[in-house]
Order: sequence, then C-alpha cells, then structure tokens
Amino acid sequence: MTNMTATPTAPLQRSQGSLGLLLGKTARTAVLVIASLWVLGPILFMVIASFKSVPEFFINPFGLPADWKVENYSRAWTDAQLSLTLPNTIIVTTVAVLISTILATMIAYGLSRKEKKWAMGLYTLFVAGLLVPVHAIILPLFIVLKAVGLFGTLLALIVPYIAMGLPLGVLVLTPIAAALPRDLINAARMDGATEWQIFWRIVMPLMKPGLISVAILNGVWMWNEFFIPLILAFKPEVQTMPVGIVSFIGAYSTEWGLVFSSVTVSTLPVVIAYLLMTRQFQSGLTAGAVKG
Amino acid sequence: MSQTSPVPVRKPPSQFSLTYGHLWFVLPGFLFFLAVMLLPLAFAFGISLTNWSGLGNDLAFVGLANYGELLTHWPFYRAAFHNAVIFVAILIFQHTVGLYLAVLLNDKPRFMQFYRTVLFLPVIMSLVATGFVWTLMLSPNIGLVNPMLKAIGLGFLAGQWLSNPATALAVIVFVTAWNSMGWAIIIYLSGLQNVPEELKQAAEIDGANSRQVFWRVVFPQLSPAFTALTVLTFIGTFRTFDVVYVLTGPLGAPNFGTDVLGTLIYRTAFGGSSFSSADIRFAFGVAMALLMMLVMAAICWGLIRILRGREIEG
Repeated sequence: MTNMTATPTAPLQRSQGSLGLLLGKTARTAVLVIASLWVLGPILFMVIASFKSVPEFFINPFGLPADWKVENYSRAWTDAQLSLTLPNTIIVTTVAVLISTILATMIAYGLSRKEKKWAMGLYTLFVAGLLVPVHAIILPLFIVLKAVGLFGTLLALIVPYIAMGLPLGVLVLTPIAAALPRDLINAARMDGATEWQIFWRIVMPLMKPGLISVAILNGVWMWNEFFIPLILAFKPEVQTMPVGIVSFIGAYSTEWGLVFSSVTVSTLPVVIAYLLMTRQFQSGLTAGAVKG
Repeated sequence: MSQTSPVPVRKPPSQFSLTYGHLWFVLPGFLFFLAVMLLPLAFAFGISLTNWSGLGNDLAFVGLANYGELLTHWPFYRAAFHNAVIFVAILIFQHTVGLYLAVLLNDKPRFMQFYRTVLFLPVIMSLVATGFVWTLMLSPNIGLVNPMLKAIGLGFLAGQWLSNPATALAVIVFVTAWNSMGWAIIIYLSGLQNVPEELKQAAEIDGANSRQVFWRVVFPQLSPAFTALTVLTFIGTFRTFDVVYVLTGPLGAPNFGTDVLGTLIYRTAFGGSSFSSADIRFAFGVAMALLMMLVMAAICWGLIRILRGREIEG
C-alpha cells in the first residue's frame, strides 16, 4: 500500500468522461445478461423439449413445438414411473431431513460445552464424516441393510441419509449452540423444566435460523442424490427420481420428450422452493459451503 | 451458575443432569453415525485387505496387496489426472469469472436480485438434471450448441462433443462450471459485502484508482472466501461422479478419456456397463476409495493450513 501514496494527482485520473462511464456500465450489464442467458437458456430449451414428440425433435429441433405434447408429462408419470419415484423422493427427503436435522441439533447442543474432554473429540469425529467416501461404505452398508431386512424398503435410503446428513449439521449447528444464552437455559432448569423440555421449548426455537440452513442444505442434497440410490435402490418401487430417470433412459433412450419431462418434474419442486425462499437457500447453502 | 431467575427455586437440578445430561443428547445421533458410517468404514477397511470380488463367498486375506497394486495401477493415475485437470480448470474459472460476476453484482446493478437468483439456480439443480440439460444442448442432432456456433461463424468448432476424445473432458469441465458457478458468486459476494466501506474510501482518498483499490484493498479481504471456495472446489471436483456418469457413462467414454476416480471406483467395485463379473474386483475398488479418502483428507488439511496461513498474513 506504500506506493499508492506516491500518486497525489490521482483524483484527476478518476474523473472519467461520462461516455466512458456509460460504456463501462453497458459492458457490465452485457456481461450479466450473457451470464444469465448462459444459465437460463439451456434450462428453457429443455423445458420446451419436454413438450415435443419424438419426430419433432428431428424435424424442428430448435423452434417451439408445433403441437405441444402435454401427454409427455402424463406418460412420464406412468411410463417413466414418476408415479412411484416422485412420492418416494418426497417421503425419503422429508423424513430424512426432519430426523437428521433434529438429531444434529441434539448433538450440537450436547457438544456445545466444549470444555468437556469428550466433546471436542466427538465433534471432530462427526465432522470428519464429511470426508468418508460413499463408494467405500456403500457395499458394507448394503450388506448391513440386507442383514437387518431394510433392503428393498424406503428405509434403506432414509437411514443412510439421516446419518450422512449429520456431519454437516453438526459442523454448522455446534457453533450456534455454543452461543446460546446459558442464563436462559439455567433459569428454565431452576424452574424445574426437564432437560428434554429445555431442548424442545428453548434450544430448538432459538436455533431456528441455523436449523433452516441445515434442512435446506441436506434437503437439496438428498433430493438430488444419485449414487446412493443407484446402489441401494434397485427397483422403481423404492427409487428416487434421479436414479429412476437414468434407469428409464437405459430402457427407452429414444423417448427424449419423456426424458426431459421427467427431468423437468424432478427439478421443479426444488426450483419452486428456491424461488419462494431465495434468501434462505442462498445463505443456508453458503453457510454449509463456507464452513465445509 | 448465574442465578438470574426471579422465580423461586422449586427443585434443585440434580448433579447428574447438570454434568452428564448433555451426553444423552448426543447418543441417538451417534448410534446412527456408528451404524451407517463408522462400522461400514471399518468393515470396508477389512474387505480392502482381502481379494473378495463382491459376489459369492470366495475370499482370501491378502494383507496390503491391494494397496500395493494400486501404486502401480495406471488407470488410477489416469483417473486422478483427469480429476486434477477438472479441479484446476474449475478453480481458475471460479476465481476469475465467478469473482468478476460477484464484483459486478456487488455494485448493485438494476435487477441485481434477478441476476443473483438466476446465476445461483444451477447449484440447486441435481447433477443428473444438469447432465441431461447439456446432453440435449450438445447433441449433434437435436442440440442447440452446434447450430449456434455455425450462426456466429464458428461452425468449424461444431462437432460430436461427447464422442470426441479431444473435447469430452473439456465438456465435463464446461458442464461442471455451469453447475458450480453459483457457489463462487455467492461466496465471493458475501465476502465483498463484508469489506468495510471506510477502507475503500481511505484508499481512494489516498489517491488509489479503482483497480488499485480492488487488488490492494478489497482482494486481500477476500482471502477467507478464496479459501472456502478453493477447498469446496477441491472436494467437489475430486468426488465428481454424476455428471460424468450421465454425460459419458460409467466407462468414462470415449476410450476412458473422461474416466475420473468416481467412475473408476464404481466400475471396479460394481462392474461397468458390461457387467462381466470377471472385471468386478470389489475389494480392490474399496481399497481405491479408502486410499482416495486418505489422500484427499491430507490434501484438504494441507490446503486449509496453507490458505489460512495466508489469510492471517494478509
């Protein structure tokens, strides 16, 4: 910073002409518009493609469909088995997010008193779970799930998701739990509240913003997860949408309209949730990313 | 114990609940974690010391032979090299294009909220959906990319993007960039919003032009964002699987040109598309995954140490 002070004439440099300013502003707007088009263009193109019939892909690949095939969606519902995989995805994501977030909050609250010797060690152990490769544990997991009779049920996905959501939850929530007002908790304890009541009525509400972040972070991940159901969910009855769509394509690779309508359906709920709660999504996902 | 409660003490809390009450809150989650992460991990390490194919009961203890073989297993290095290429390319992209877009958004242009919402959108889309969007865009028959290149006079570039070994890996990078750009923007944007306004003004009063203000004053303040994004990109690109699987299949087509560690491990442990059981070496695949975990953990630790050290100096 020392050589900056050596240019006392700088205020003159900054007074650019208004034309230059306008050009700069236009160029910057152009960059933002191009970047937005780069993101939105392909998505819109896919949504349009999801309404096309198979011949129309080849006759008229780039324009709007002459005949909007809404039945692509009803056929995706039946033929591409979305009638099974969409409810599965909703059930698996909802149940796993709820349980995983509550368990992570309990752990975070339990570990928040770091003066305890075991607390720091356990915290490190949970957070190190972020590095465990799914590839390595998936087949042992498969064997365990089969042995306890969960294989072939939705629990075969729910149970691993709950556990795999914990490391991020603990990472994000422990600092928040550590900053909880101790006086409030002690006061409630003096009033005779049980530990469980304290947790449920005081700790959970106070940690709500953090809980929402963790729920969004894990919910988006579970909704979109592909590798775990690829191995652990072998039939449509227990598959979630991403793997259901990929296995459908293996069988009918020319039905492009159905493929893209399925992908659109699988993406739509998250996009709607995102548009309704843009701020929470952005800050929630970033909280996990920055800490991770 | 601070006595702030104005309400008379009804029941003194037992020593037990004060001292150990918290431990019970950890227990249910810990049991899940133990059953789904720790035990399978120990089990996986045990398996990696055998020659089990994953099918049947035929297995023998081979010690560290799988790990020894990995050290000279060239597909492992090829896959790791592809991961490294993707990592470096995405890293450069995030710290240039991503940073630049964040700087533009930080100036609060009109429709800022709209751009921000749109540019972050791919992050919430699944990598499977991303893969299909770009399979469609890049398709030689029904895609938009080739006709668009022709329209702007770059027709010579148009081609069979995913079946050409020279471009397939570049396509993987491009699609990964599309999906992950939102991270860079949002992380840098929150970093930029934390730069104190007085600092910039002070530099301007000292006579710094806007470029100097950015590189000498603002950019050093962004080093926590730089660290977070670099580590995130490292983990993301070395774990990549879905995009490669959807765009080029588990074999890393064409001719293993896009084979990454994720697909190599998947193929080794569970079989590729061919499913000829002779190719499946589950124990070897598991050894690969565990070795990858250790190396990644070590590199992550090193990255964080180096980058955090830089933060403190800056």
